[in-house]
Amino acid sequence: MKRQVHRAMLYILVTLVVGVLFFPVYWMLNTSLAAHDQLYVYPPRFVHPNPTLAAYVKVFRERPMVRWLLNSLIVALLSTGFSLAISVLAGYSLSRYRVWGSESLGYLLLASRMLPGTLLVIPLFVFMSKLRLVNTLWSVTIANITFVVPFATWMLKGYFDSIPRELEEAAYIDGASRLGALVRVTLPLSSPGLAATALYSAILAWDEYLFARTFLTTNSVWTISVGLGSFRGEYITFWNEVMAASLIGTVPIIFMFLLLERHLISGLTAGAVK
Amino acid sequence: MQRRDPGAPVMCRKSPGIVVSKQLLRERLPYRPLWWRLLRGTEAFAYVLMAPAILTIAVVVLYPTLTAIDISFRRVDIYTPGSARGPFTLTNYARLFGSTAFWQSVQVTLSYMVISVAFALLIGFGTAILLHQRFRGRTLARMMAVLPWAIPPVVAANIWWWILDPSFGLLNWVLLKVGLIKEPVNWIISPGPALAAVSMVTVWKGYPFFVVMTLAGLQAIPQDLYDSAAVDGAGRLAAFLHITLPALRQILALATLLTVMWVFREFAIIWVLTGGGPMRATETLAIMTYTEAFAHFRMGVGAAVGVVTLVISTIASIIFIRQSRKEFY
Repeated sequence: MKRQVHRAMLYILVTLVVGVLFFPVYWMLNTSLAAHDQLYVYPPRFVHPNPTLAAYVKVFRERPMVRWLLNSLIVALLSTGFSLAISVLAGYSLSRYRVWGSESLGYLLLASRMLPGTLLVIPLFVFMSKLRLVNTLWSVTIANITFVVPFATWMLKGYFDSIPRELEEAAYIDGASRLGALVRVTLPLSSPGLAATALYSAILAWDEYLFARTFLTTNSVWTISVGLGSFRGEYITFWNEVMAASLIGTVPIIFMFLLLERHLISGLTAGAVK
Repeated sequence: MQRRDPGAPVMCRKSPGIVVSKQLLRERLPYRPLWWRLLRGTEAFAYVLMAPAILTIAVVVLYPTLTAIDISFRRVDIYTPGSARGPFTLTNYARLFGSTAFWQSVQVTLSYMVISVAFALLIGFGTAILLHQRFRGRTLARMMAVLPWAIPPVVAANIWWWILDPSFGLLNWVLLKVGLIKEPVNWIISPGPALAAVSMVTVWKGYPFFVVMTLAGLQAIPQDLYDSAAVDGAGRLAAFLHITLPALRQILALATLLTVMWVFREFAIIWVLTGGGPMRATETLAIMTYTEAFAHFRMGVGAAVGVVTLVISTIASIIFIRQSRKEFY
């Protein structure tokens, strides 16, 4: 009897806590399905009687949502691609070799990760305007590299550390070169780690707001996060539209998050636990 | 790393009992001239692999950082590279340290950090303890509790902007219903509540990290410890205080430090929700850097604030590296 009471209390507590914490996400979905005349009602409706997709249709019709999503996708792919190409090599070097300067590079990368973006954005903006890159997606891609490379290098170093050196040594004996061992032995073995790092980097790039807001001034080149930040400051706020657009901008991330779930910790602490 | 005397005995890493001389180890390697080592050897390969990263960081991080420091010492409103540099001056810093806005910003940053990190820690830790219990649907519950981590910061700000709406927002309705407030609070328009509002969003985005870290820490505690404690007659509370908490101390310290540094640099949440207002009530140092440079067009002053944040985060990084070396090596 006492045990059952205990159980019941646990379930109630879990439902309550998780319910409250998760509620804002539900609220976004709920509001996005409301009709315009359902918005300004008091008390608020927790479930709308006739849900409608009108807000989604309106958001896509009145704003360049497709363009924004596409821009974000391009930026995420480019930032991830470039960063990974650089980070795979550096991460492998940091994991396998200890030469003069390895340790300094490691700390330099950590320090870059901790650098305040609001400081970096000032000189970067100056250079981007000098190079006439303002209002192009290249500017954001280059700026994203400043924090994706340090992160990805540390995360990949962690994965390479977990792959035994002996496998490479076996490849050397079979006549492989150093590069050959890396490409044919280590990389295939670390493909789950590579995939996790790529996903994580893409999330970082997709979420980025500061650089994109500063470098991209016309709304046809905005990324989705700049677009979603632009609802503030408009004359009237239609909450169902804000929430519909926000939800659309979140779906790709939630999808990546579900794929990433098992590797979450290694990413969250990349460079922290050595 | 401190340099060691090359002849000093070192511990053999694989079997720590054996002490060998480093000189001895070196003599067994074949002699290679410097050029060979630089161009052909393992060292060269290590450097080739590092080169793209070093080059990238030098171009997109180091050089810009140095430029920013340089800008902070010049009288610059809108900086254009190539134009004649003004003379070295401390005006920006003098203006900054003499202004009340800067010291208010320091204060705002401190309260924002302390409030956000403390609540994120408490909520995250509590939720993790709860989700560590065994029950049906635990995986789903964990996913749902950690999900806010994956919500983009701009989206989080939008959701809460709606929840905090003074007339039709959910929070005011709930608080009125429960009787905690007598009339609707103007969350984003009045200074005190605005800081609370910004902190709420930050806590909501920040607590999942503590959940994930605490759960990882809890899983690493061997069950034997609890069993033997139970044999010794320890109750659940005693076991929690004397086994669970000490075991989690390191991981919680690490998570707190990382969150402090994240909150310190946070831009998107505050910018989208309040833009630093009302009356600079939510203007942290990060926001002030940006506002000075891009809203008031005083890049010199903005860069000076930025350099102050750089110094603070560098000190924090050093503490962090020291700490993680001590605790995790």
